[in-house]
Amino acid sequence: MPEDLDPVIHAPARLRVVASLAALGRGDEVAFPKLRKLLDMTAGNLSTHLRKLEDAGYVRVTKTHEGRTPVTYLALTDNGRTAFADYQAALMDLLKGAQ
Amino acid sequence: MTTDPTRPPEPAEGPSASAEPGRPADGAGLDPAGTLRLIRQQQEAARDATEPDGRLLFGAWGLAWVIGYLAMWTTARETGSPAPWAGWVFACCIAGATTFTIVHSITRTAGTRGTSARVGALYGWTWFLAFTALGVVLGAMGNAGASPEIMAIAANGFACVIVGLMYIAGGLLFEENRMALVGGWMLVAAVLAAFAGMPTTYLVMAVAGGGGFLVMVAVEQVLRARRRSEGGVRRA
Repeated sequence: MPEDLDPVIHAPARLRVVASLAALGRGDEVAFPKLRKLLDMTAGNLSTHLRKLEDAGYVRVTKTHEGRTPVTYLALTDNGRTAFADYQAALMDLLKGAQ
Repeated sequence: MTTDPTRPPEPAEGPSASAEPGRPADGAGLDPAGTLRLIRQQQEAARDATEPDGRLLFGAWGLAWVIGYLAMWTTARETGSPAPWAGWVFACCIAGATTFTIVHSITRTAGTRGTSARVGALYGWTWFLAFTALGVVLGAMGNAGASPEIMAIAANGFACVIVGLMYIAGGLLFEENRMALVGGWMLVAAVLAAFAGMPTTYLVMAVAGGGGFLVMVAVEQVLRARRRSEGGVRRA
């Protein structure tokens, strides 16, 4: 793996998670079940990847209640957005280098 | 579940995640173009899942205006004023488009919260309040003795002005220039309809107003296809 590609984002499943969250507006959050459905992952698998992204400071996890139902909302942090932008820039550089 | 943070083996990924083209594999398999394409596709899917589809909304309102106003125009052309059934057709078209807009927007944005959801809810309520207020004002004008012709010009003109201003406001709120452009066009349509004279006003509303929405369906479709082929990262 090239040195300049962020290994936290580079894993395929996490790349899809980060890309999806980056498509939301700043200040927007998505509920866990909606994200899970969008990505077509199992809940356990998605949780594992979200934990890694949270540990890296890229994803903010907010646990709350709507009525009596517990809901988890997810959003990209500013650091996460920057890291994703850097990751895409690195890919673009690789693409230019290859041509 | 793995706990090795350095080298996640992507366990039990599910069929969709592991078998996609452009999969960023470690080492030699890296394909930057494919990975960028994958990112674009994923973001497109995320937007489809969380944002209303402009094509569907423009399409619903375009059809409602074209069908509703053409019904009014064809019957008014024969007798001088629209037939009652044409009024019902018009009312049903508007009610249908309104219902579709609300259901579609709520379905798409369900499971999200934050700035966009708050702004979107407020925006939706503003439409409702504006047209409620318009209805009350028109009622007052009728009570004060406004003739059917004045009522028709006022109802169509003010409705067009509200639509125009709300679309411009929406364009500003959601940073969608095309939406603001439609708003500007609706203000033009309001002026054209007001000066057309009855019953041509209805025809102008159908063609300029409804037609304007339908043109936007085509524009949205073209832009979407172009975005698909070229890509481009969303405004962040």
